[in-house]
Amino acid sequence: MEARPGIMPTVRKPSTRSWALGLFALILVAAFVVSLSLGSVSIPLKEVFGILLGKPTLRASWTTIILNFRLTKALTAALAGAALSVAGLQMQTMFRNPLADPFILGINSGASLGVALAVLAIGATGSILLAGISTAGDLGLALAASIGAGLVLGLILLVGRQVKNPTTLLILGLMFGYAASALTSLLIYFSLPERIQAYTVWSYGSFSGVTWGQLMVMAPVILAGLAMTIFLPKPLNALLLGEEYARSMGVDVRWTRVFILLSASILAGTVTAFCGPIGFIGVAVPHLCRNLLRSANHKLLLPASALLGAALALIADVLAQLPGSQFVLPINVVTSLFGAPFVVWVIIRQRKGRTSFSI
Amino acid sequence: MKKTTRLMLLLLVLVLSACAAQPGPSNSDTAPVLRAYPVRYAQHFTLEYGEGYKKLTVTQPWAGATEALVYFLIPRGSPAPKEAGSAQVIETPVRSFVAMSTTYFPFLEKLGKLDALVAVDDATYAFNPVVREKAASGAIALVGGGAGGGSVNVEKALELQPDLIMTSASGSPELDAHPKLLEAGLPVVINADYLEQSPLGRAEWGIFIAAFFDLEEQAVQDFDALAQRYEAAKALTENLASKVSVFTNTDYQGTWYVPGGESYAALLLKDAGARYIFEAQPGYGAAPLAFEAVFDAAKDADFWLNVGFASDLESLLAMDARYVEFKAFEQGSVYNYNARVTENGGSDYFESGVANPDIILEDLIRIFYPDLLPEHALYYYQQLN
Repeated sequence: MEARPGIMPTVRKPSTRSWALGLFALILVAAFVVSLSLGSVSIPLKEVFGILLGKPTLRASWTTIILNFRLTKALTAALAGAALSVAGLQMQTMFRNPLADPFILGINSGASLGVALAVLAIGATGSILLAGISTAGDLGLALAASIGAGLVLGLILLVGRQVKNPTTLLILGLMFGYAASALTSLLIYFSLPERIQAYTVWSYGSFSGVTWGQLMVMAPVILAGLAMTIFLPKPLNALLLGEEYARSMGVDVRWTRVFILLSASILAGTVTAFCGPIGFIGVAVPHLCRNLLRSANHKLLLPASALLGAALALIADVLAQLPGSQFVLPINVVTSLFGAPFVVWVIIRQRKGRTSFSI
Repeated sequence: MKKTTRLMLLLLVLVLSACAAQPGPSNSDTAPVLRAYPVRYAQHFTLEYGEGYKKLTVTQPWAGATEALVYFLIPRGSPAPKEAGSAQVIETPVRSFVAMSTTYFPFLEKLGKLDALVAVDDATYAFNPVVREKAASGAIALVGGGAGGGSVNVEKALELQPDLIMTSASGSPELDAHPKLLEAGLPVVINADYLEQSPLGRAEWGIFIAAFFDLEEQAVQDFDALAQRYEAAKALTENLASKVSVFTNTDYQGTWYVPGGESYAALLLKDAGARYIFEAQPGYGAAPLAFEAVFDAAKDADFWLNVGFASDLESLLAMDARYVEFKAFEQGSVYNYNARVTENGGSDYFESGVANPDIILEDLIRIFYPDLLPEHALYYYQQLN
């Protein structure tokens, strides 16, 4: 890869790299602590640490709030942020498209359709579905979303192996998405307003709805999806320069593509299943990392995206909780409203006319 | 300057109406009123009687509306009164009725006029068995575009030529059915019962509906008896030594919509002698609170009501395992208003409940203080097991 230094993205010295990753990790830890200590109910920081260490508290409800509400929420936010950012990075590189996000292939629409079926079509299509969903216990909505996302993923993988051109794949994914969205709209159109509310709130996205029972499923799957990317820095770096070049580097493009699709879809699909469609983070964090680190090397970008994505999701969630007030905002409102100007600022400040996306 | 303009306008109107050689539009506000129904609880309609007509005014047709809607009801075949001006004139008694909301069914049923119902917007979520049966057999037509609002089948409505279409309105033309229907020349009346927060105020709209059938005397009698039952039940809870505490609704992914202290739901709880945990929340809209805020405030509340679609504790817990932490859940003091629902999810609480606030109140009192109403069997509510 070092053979074409003129085109290949510059890679900083290893010392700079680990220094940057260390800083991101520190930000993540700080965001995690802030997320645990701020919320609608005001709990002193000393008490928060006391509860985490298993000490008795002034109020019994505080223990529940920290352990069953804020800790699950913080872990969920961190996992989701990391997963979406890594999935977004993979999609942007694979499609060589700076606007690509984790949901570009319609995973999101598939998950939404699954949830819409579970929430809205209960009764209308018979109560069997409801029975099935509620016996799944804690995993009801997540299960429905996973099935929807899984179906779309299956279709994409099936087509992905046949199609030569990634752009064709992109268009096909878009079409799957449209079809699934149309079916969702149809369900909404014929539903009770109270049920539509349940669906609408899900579609706003949230880290707060995940319980320990759900986290026990969500966390291992996301960690597995992240672990898969350990094998990907080299092929991704090669793909950045085009499939022909990657092939000449000895990369099995077809299988790499399937591997990337699988890992990115597992990551994005799982997050959507448990948290609803979370926008923006998946597009923005890879750009932020490229600009902050001035690098396009995936050895650096993959862990950096995971760390920064986790930290930013936590910070966004803290803002969404409007600390001190009883109210909450939808997470997507916060990520886009506060995140967009921030990313614009970083990109304008750091770009200096040269694109580090290197296309 | 202003005065001159007004004078000019008045002159113009006079000239125009003289040219038309017909009774021209005059100000309906100055119409002589012989008598008026003294509305007791409702805030958004009035009923007045003039010479040869009834004048129904919807003072606030939708939230934020700045103008009232006026309807002149005249005996079938008689000429429109000159007082009507440009207001809508409807011949009574109406023989065919189109209901764009299920909440009109119980009022029609009480009046014995359910057979006048020729069409509904959508029967999927109707509870009334007669309506469901007739809709299934085609005796009642469907003219709506789904419960989510949307387009009205104007062609179908025109074909039916109903004497009256009753609907609610939001004020935004893209959501409402009535502008299109009015444009087609169909007799559309806006019912704003949902704006009433007082449970009795909402039920009083039965008189508004009855006026179109010339049955308002009967409706007034019915309503007076209902109000008496409601007030009697409410009086039972007036001298309680201690009040039970109650919270409502469920969490949606970390957001818990809490009805304001002046809302319909909160007023019912108050009249039932309960202390609503969130009574200090201003207004009647629902505030999006954080789950942890609700948990902190309602953890030790005695009762938990109105838990969405859950019909047993297990399915409630399936929505969120953390519900187990509420004292009300632990003690099994969870009640939902879904004792009467159809397979499709059509709920009688939301349908006939509007017309029977006395029964809802008695349900609530029976739940909170069983000794006060030992004979009453729960009708809309059920305890979750």
